[in-house]
Amino acid sequence: MNISYNWLKELIDLELSPQETAEKLTLIGLEVEEVTSHGNKLEGVVVGEVLDVNEHSNADRLVVCQVDIGTEEVQIVCGADNVAAGQKVPVATVGSALPPKNEGDDPFTIREAKLRGEESKGMICAEDELQLGDDHSGIMVLDEELKAGTPLYEAIDLYQDSIIEIEITPNRPDATCHLGVARDLAAALDLELNKPFSTEFDDQAPLNEIDIEIKAPEKCHRYVGKMVKDVTIEESPAWLKNKLEAIGVRPVNNVVDITNYVMFELGQPLHAFDADTIKGNKIAVKDFEEEITFETLDHVERKCSAGTLFICDAEEPVAIAGVMGGVDSEVSDSTTNVLIESAYFNPGDIRKTAKEQVLQSDSSYRFERGIDPQLQRIAAERAAELIANVANGQIVDACTDVHPQKTEATELPLRKSYVNKLLGTDFTTDEINSILNGLEFELLNQDDDVLTYKIPTFRPDLEREVDLIEEVGRLFDYNNIPTPEHGKFISPEPLTDWEQLVSQAKEVAKGMRFREIYSNSLMPDKDAKLLGELDNMIHTLNPISTDMTTLRPSLLYGFLTSVAYNFNRKVNQVRFFEIGNVFERSESGTYHKGIKEETNILFGLAGFKTIEHWKTEAEHYDVFDLKAPVRSFLQQLGVYQAITASANSNNRLCYTYDGTELGHLYEVDEEMREKYDFELPAFVAEFSLTKIHKARQKITQKGYEAVSKFPSFEFDFAVIVDRSVKAGTLLKSIEETAGESLKELDVFDVFEGESLGENKKSIAFRLSFLDKNKTLTIKDVEPIINKVLKVLEKEYSAKLRS
Amino acid sequence: MLDDIEALKKEIENYTISTEEELEAFRLEFLSRKGKIQSMFSRMSEVPNEQKAQVGKAMNEVKNFAQETFDAAQKKLEREETADLKATDDISLPAPPYAPGSFHPLTQTMEEMKNIFYRLGFSIADGPEVEDDFHNFTALNFPPNHPARDEQDTFFVRKDDDPDVDDLVMRTHTSPVQIRLMQKQEPPIRTIMPGRVYRNEAVSPKSYFLFHQVEALYIDTDVSIAELKETLISFVKLMFGKDVKYRLRPGFFPFTEPSLEMDIWWEPAHKKEGKWLEILGSGMVDPNVLKAVDIDPEKYTGFAWGMGVERIAMLRHQIDDIRVFYENDVRFLKQFN
Repeated sequence: MNISYNWLKELIDLELSPQETAEKLTLIGLEVEEVTSHGNKLEGVVVGEVLDVNEHSNADRLVVCQVDIGTEEVQIVCGADNVAAGQKVPVATVGSALPPKNEGDDPFTIREAKLRGEESKGMICAEDELQLGDDHSGIMVLDEELKAGTPLYEAIDLYQDSIIEIEITPNRPDATCHLGVARDLAAALDLELNKPFSTEFDDQAPLNEIDIEIKAPEKCHRYVGKMVKDVTIEESPAWLKNKLEAIGVRPVNNVVDITNYVMFELGQPLHAFDADTIKGNKIAVKDFEEEITFETLDHVERKCSAGTLFICDAEEPVAIAGVMGGVDSEVSDSTTNVLIESAYFNPGDIRKTAKEQVLQSDSSYRFERGIDPQLQRIAAERAAELIANVANGQIVDACTDVHPQKTEATELPLRKSYVNKLLGTDFTTDEINSILNGLEFELLNQDDDVLTYKIPTFRPDLEREVDLIEEVGRLFDYNNIPTPEHGKFISPEPLTDWEQLVSQAKEVAKGMRFREIYSNSLMPDKDAKLLGELDNMIHTLNPISTDMTTLRPSLLYGFLTSVAYNFNRKVNQVRFFEIGNVFERSESGTYHKGIKEETNILFGLAGFKTIEHWKTEAEHYDVFDLKAPVRSFLQQLGVYQAITASANSNNRLCYTYDGTELGHLYEVDEEMREKYDFELPAFVAEFSLTKIHKARQKITQKGYEAVSKFPSFEFDFAVIVDRSVKAGTLLKSIEETAGESLKELDVFDVFEGESLGENKKSIAFRLSFLDKNKTLTIKDVEPIINKVLKVLEKEYSAKLRS
Repeated sequence: MLDDIEALKKEIENYTISTEEELEAFRLEFLSRKGKIQSMFSRMSEVPNEQKAQVGKAMNEVKNFAQETFDAAQKKLEREETADLKATDDISLPAPPYAPGSFHPLTQTMEEMKNIFYRLGFSIADGPEVEDDFHNFTALNFPPNHPARDEQDTFFVRKDDDPDVDDLVMRTHTSPVQIRLMQKQEPPIRTIMPGRVYRNEAVSPKSYFLFHQVEALYIDTDVSIAELKETLISFVKLMFGKDVKYRLRPGFFPFTEPSLEMDIWWEPAHKKEGKWLEILGSGMVDPNVLKAVDIDPEKYTGFAWGMGVERIAMLRHQIDDIRVFYENDVRFLKQFN
């Protein structure tokens, strides 16, 4: 909202500059967005006397003038028809700068020039060139009495102001006007608030001319009607136009301008009707059970849903209550009698209508936030007085005040001790009282610790003791509250296991040269379909776009889109990890019934492991490039030894703990890569950190074990098996059979060839045995090997390869 | 004679041997049968008897010196020969690429915040991103008609006509974690809640429909604005340097009363003028919030505050488009190695 600095100065004796005022307002909770200057002083533009006008020898349309500008006599070439000797005119002297036509452009600087051969030192200006009006029909002719050389800003009233743009928080309806802002400043700076209007009135009989009735008292709590007769509708006087223009309001005519003026002064939206257009001399405030079509002032036909509140005359609606008036009843040039409407409408109803119509007027903006329910009569009388004044009208003494729902000022107790407890201050009762009195909170009663205040109706936001404490705090300025001299020592709690796991997982991933990515948790249905049944996933009911409908059931989508994004930009070595939440339907749910939400970690490789380099050949990643760091990851988290990895197909490995699936490792298949439009191979391992966390709590971590003083004994053998037998199965069998002295087991060769027989392969194992108490020899190991070979032969028809 | 021997020694000393040819020339000149050393020995007969011992010793010395010089030069040449084997035996060749792992810039900023809070004695808590109306709005004192409850602002996951079934939303802030914590833990509570939050907003350089927050909550028997202020000041000094210029001003949030915002004075390196930038919102936990979780507001008070991780990361790295955080362009990410 725009606040005029000049206007504020009329309400309080403000000694701060506009900038200082803005700073102060921000610090008391009326946050200033920007301070801008309005109007231009037109430095260097002076009154000139035209001494002589001659024809230009080389141009029909130009004349050559001799002009007295006070300090000297200069020659100026001018193109206007209306220039004549003896006139007093505004002259922009050489070196002066005129305001630019378009905001943001550079100002136009006047220089000495030759125009078609004639010298010209300055410029005689038209109204629009000085931005004093729109007139470009000719030069501006000034009062004859003015003295040549007088600066223009002294000769005529050049209006200047500073405009302070405030962002009003929704809890401060009182600050949507100059009076409210001035009140806050007065309280903060300890100044008197000058109110240039009356607040006390005699009771008046209702208007004879028009009958006013409220038929929807829930939606309209009060309706004050006041009339001014025999007005002359014309352009507003300069003082009024200047004030409105400065805050960005376009002047219309004297009556409408006054209604706006009073709204920006007091915060009460007003509407002026041409009283003679009100049919049947009757105003009814009511809503309808059906949809109503209504043409508003801005000539838009609006469909208003049932229940919208209207101001109606005896026949039809004349205004959408609180939002906008209608075409037929607006004040026009021919209006002579004006009915001023000053009402209180229920904020919720106005908000609904304004939203439905996508129409936020200055008036609905205020009604929505809740205006002062005791302001209507004051504002109506204020407007009537000003209208009578600027439009030469006659105020009708009578005043209709229909007031079915009265709002009285509330009382609030405030404990001094609680103020100090919450703010950390040491205020006395007087100090608190002086701050709150400045805001027009009347101290009703003082009882030891408890102060009871009457809360004015313009502050509907103050409902509780704590709200009053905020008033004390903000006006005192939080920056002035002392910080404690001695801080408390707090013994912190240990970090949770979960937090430790997550940060460890991140560190490990980074240490293994994975780059962390953050991807979108919302994804398109069409992509979600590739990951599983849509019915098993969670969807937003009101997505921004079809691209963001489904909550990710896994981190795969984010990885694939990021891979594609980078491949498209010629970055084809990708090594990513991500930690994030994933969602799917489940009967029981994690936090909420029906919704499973877990934290996953994804490791992904795509494209080239090595590039063409003098040292290496270009080589794609393969699945073992991922399986190795995944093993390391699980080892570092201390869960590897308890996890079983089994291949349920040739390109998918499933990691389980005690029957629970913890994660998968696989190659992204060609079909999927095609959907994301890339060809290079990609590998993914995704684990549920939530499940790893649960598993880790059950797995006993191995303690320290002294290193054996004896060397280990290594033994190699190879077996020939059917190609269908998985290495993993054999490894598991060897491990189980060999017993405790087997410390390490690995595969050092895999071979297939015709020499082995059809559909056969050879796998060579290296076993490493170790005993704590002695050096092992072949005698110790041989029986174990024999046992292993027997089992392998029995279970998998494995033949020892000699 | 002794002078001649000395001169010969000088001659050997000054002989440069850097090629095989020079090495052979050296041998012929000094060490061969017809070489200078041998001819020196043949002049022994000219030496008077009383000097024979002395001259003989000097001659032997020079002979040994010549032989040593030859051997050393020969070894050096051999070494050079083997050292000059392959073009790839060049240590100045570039090593193959070995890209480091990295944390996302948002993780980096968030970790820094967490570490500061750990130093200030806070612990950490988390909660779900899909949240019910009670935790996300009602318990946090949002009035029923608050605009945040509107579909324009919040993603809904479940809406049910049955008033007993709570609506589910994508949480709009991490504050519901405060509610969850206060529901299960007795004060004192001194905890932060970092996490991902969602707003139904159009995507632009300035806004994204998801972002990250870090919130802090402190509830105890004797917590006031003064403690809040002290914690805020400690935080900004640790985050932005101890000379940071800051100010507090009133704010407005449903869940705190009084509410405050904090600005810091920011002078970007490439711009002339500095300005106040809002970095966080805070306040004393509203009594209605405490009541919603059965904490007695007469006994306990507390403060809460929250800030956007993206906003602060953008500030620190002078990033002007929030969307780059979610594109995962390696060329962007690797700047934060």
